Amino acid sequence: MQEIIEAIVEPRRREILRLVRDAELPAGEIAAYFGDVTRPAISQHLRVLKDAGLLSERRDGTRRMYRARPEGFAGLREFFGLFWGERLEVLRREAELEERRRSRGRGTRN
Amino acid sequence: MGEALGTEPVVEEVRIGASPETVFAFFVDPEKLTRWLCEEVTVDPRPGGVNRQTHPGDEGNPDGPYFMRGRFVEVSPPHRVVFTWGYENPEIGVPPGSSTVEVTLEPDGQGTLLRLVHRDLPEAGRPQHAKGWEKMLARLARAARDIAEEEPTKEAS
Repeated sequence: MQEIIEAIVEPRRREILRLVRDAELPAGEIAAYFGDVTRPAISQHLRVLKDAGLLSERRDGTRRMYRARPEGFAGLREFFGLFWGERLEVLRREAELEERRRSRGRGTRN
Repeated sequence: MGEALGTEPVVEEVRIGASPETVFAFFVDPEKLTRWLCEEVTVDPRPGGVNRQTHPGDEGNPDGPYFMRGRFVEVSPPHRVVFTWGYENPEIGVPPGSSTVEVTLEPDGQGTLLRLVHRDLPEAGRPQHAKGWEKMLARLARAARDIAEEEPTKEAS
């Protein structure tokens, strides 16, 4: 999950995933879409996404074709990892609040 | 039937600045459950007792509300509680009581180290439609920003 989150934090990588969600595209076309980003930077983004399991890569002759793998982060395991991570942060806050309330109660003396 | 069960459970840990006794209550007391986990709840916190929760639909749960249903398996205050977990909503692909959540609370100085293991989730489940995909992406992006802003409080999974 940590790897997936680090991959997703960069907006351009999220944009790449949207581009190749429904159709496979070669690296060249992905790079052409981002006019202001260098080709090596795009390759780097593709590599990070692939290593995180969010992108599949296929060789087609000399070209590398890319497609998003939604199952890489939208599977049940990833969903519940995120769900419990978020819920436990709220639990932490609420339990700590409750603990402070309890100590204040214990601290009073007549 | 015939779906492979996930081979790796989900494991999440958090350090909490509260005693195990304080934290444990948040898993079995209905009013406390609604402060962090669900909107409506019915619990009978004994082995075999019912555990039913409503999780509202919102940006995090694109197709909610979800109706969670399971049973308590083990209730050992203040250090361990185990309950089954699933949904009455068939589109999620986790039937009621079909997966298991195991929570252990270890004393950690004045606080608690909470470890949650969610096992036996099926490999398949949760159809990948566009709305759910986009929302999952947005949720992950928010989580990434939050993590970047916070000091690390738990181990990376």
